[in-house]
Amino acid sequence: MATFAAYTIIGLSVGGVFALAALGIVLIYRTTGVLNFAHGAMGMFSTFVAWQIFYGIAHPFWPQWLATALAILAGLAFAAVMGLFLDLAVFRWVRTRPPVVKAVITIGILLALQATASLIWKNNQYHLSIYVLPKDWVVSVADVPVGANSIAIIAVALGLAFGLAAYLRYTGFGRSMRAVSDSPTAASLWAVPVGRVSAVSWMLGSLIAAVAGILITPFINFDTTSLTLLIIDALAAALIGGMVSLPLTVLGGFILGLLETYPTIWIQSIGFPRLVALVVILAVLIVRNPRGLTASR
Amino acid sequence: MTWLSSRFTVRVLLALLAFLVLARLPAGMDIGFQFDAALAAVWGFGILSLVLLTGYVGQVSLCQATFAGVGAYAAGMMVSTFHVNYLVAVAVAVVAAFALGVVVGLPALRLSGITLAIVTLGIALVFDRYVFQDAAFAWFTGGSGGWRVDGARMFGFQMDSSKHLLAAYVVLVGLFCLVALLMVNLHESGAGRRFRAIRDSELAASTMGVNLTRYKLLAFGMSAAIAGLGGSFYPLVAGSVSPQPFWLFTSLQLAAIAVLMGVRYVPAAALGGVFMAFVPDVLTRFGHGSFRGQSYDISFDWFQIAVGVLLVIQLILLPDGVWGDLRNRVLHAMAPARSAARAVVKKSVTTA
Repeated sequence: MATFAAYTIIGLSVGGVFALAALGIVLIYRTTGVLNFAHGAMGMFSTFVAWQIFYGIAHPFWPQWLATALAILAGLAFAAVMGLFLDLAVFRWVRTRPPVVKAVITIGILLALQATASLIWKNNQYHLSIYVLPKDWVVSVADVPVGANSIAIIAVALGLAFGLAAYLRYTGFGRSMRAVSDSPTAASLWAVPVGRVSAVSWMLGSLIAAVAGILITPFINFDTTSLTLLIIDALAAALIGGMVSLPLTVLGGFILGLLETYPTIWIQSIGFPRLVALVVILAVLIVRNPRGLTASR
Repeated sequence: MTWLSSRFTVRVLLALLAFLVLARLPAGMDIGFQFDAALAAVWGFGILSLVLLTGYVGQVSLCQATFAGVGAYAAGMMVSTFHVNYLVAVAVAVVAAFALGVVVGLPALRLSGITLAIVTLGIALVFDRYVFQDAAFAWFTGGSGGWRVDGARMFGFQMDSSKHLLAAYVVLVGLFCLVALLMVNLHESGAGRRFRAIRDSELAASTMGVNLTRYKLLAFGMSAAIAGLGGSFYPLVAGSVSPQPFWLFTSLQLAAIAVLMGVRYVPAAALGGVFMAFVPDVLTRFGHGSFRGQSYDISFDWFQIAVGVLLVIQLILLPDGVWGDLRNRVLHAMAPARSAARAVVKKSVTTA
């Protein structure tokens, strides 16, 4: 029973990682109609920018909390600029194209970002993780030690999901974003600033990707590929949420995290969880066929 | 004998000519470029498989390198474990890839577009991280060392080591020209028309009586078989098989380069294969030195950056791909001359 509890807690923190990564995908897909395969790569790149500040510039001289704060700020600022740039330079020009073409464009962005990061920070090196909260802050839950960073991930995932859902529902700009997601043409006829909505969506999505990336580093092999490839688990979580609901997406992340973690009690394999993710994707797509994806975009 | 039209004869002659030129071309190159040339044919098959699946049938796939990898591992396993002639190994590899393609095609019966992209990406990741690397599949992948294919023979010739690289290359290019010719002819055949009907509208195609299940599965199977045929030669070209060349990013690069070059056109596959094999090697070989006192070092990472950036630019500016748009422009410029020539021919036929 103790192992079961331990694996449940590991599964929940892994699930928090997936949930965080999936939130940005759902947000961008809802408001701009782009299924962003480069979401993991965007988060990865911003995280490496934060890492560069954390270990490259600030680390040896300044107090830990200041270095951490600076690193996070730099990563987030970079993420916002990158999101804005991608919208202005790329996605503004392809708004009327079919969804598949936009998805293939994000594959091009994925390839470019991954290779650029591997050029700058080298691929096969073992990079030290960024700890947002001190590593030795540990709480004991059911005799299992839980790190403060795990709790932070779960809390941020839940907070972002409900916060963003509330933002989309109750604010004026959130309403504009939902209008654009229903029909860009109709929204523009009602004087909704479609261009600004798309720019803000990309900046927000990129910011969420960066938050996810920075919080995730202690839990995965932190290199240029692992964060990029997190996209599959994130997509699985997003599909459980139907590509529409942010709270359901977070729930999907936790479910997927548990589903991927429990088999590791019996099967010691690095690759097996990927198979679980694929089975979840297939099950959701074939059995449930999410309405968010069948919308006539 | 209507199929023996003049158009068909011209195509056969063109394929033969292409084979003769391409087969002789790397003879004078050094061993590194000969390896690249053989690799270009292997990846050319990978892109050709996408021309069939995406260009003809309109199905998205992000796991073509997986099919090639299954072909490579199947061929390696047949040669290393059962010591068969390499021709048999290639046949088994193609059958294995075809079977996997049909299995991947099964979910595609219910899916299309971006959902199919998600599923095939997941399949590529599962094979990359699990099947090709896990100890549970060591019987198929030869464990962490992979397979070596020492002493492989085909048509009675030794083909295994770098000394015999050109022999393997000639066979590869011959097969590539043959498959390319078949693909061009497929486009106007009955099956090709059904494929294109599925691409334009699945609903309309099924209303006209096209058996969607059969032709979609057939398309996935054939596409996987083409990629697997190229992959089955990989052990001969490289000497051994390892998971690295068939990982997820290769699948993404294949898809990106196929779209970049023009996913509806067969010659774009050859162009893409050459691009994918030669550019990274040229970058690593000639990418370092000094220019006006400034030393520079261009990593092969620039290749993938270029592929990504070029893909984005191409999709915005040249939607039909490099080959497609060039071809359309040339045809457009030549249109008056062509119609004039056609009028002359018509006149001479009617007067005769």
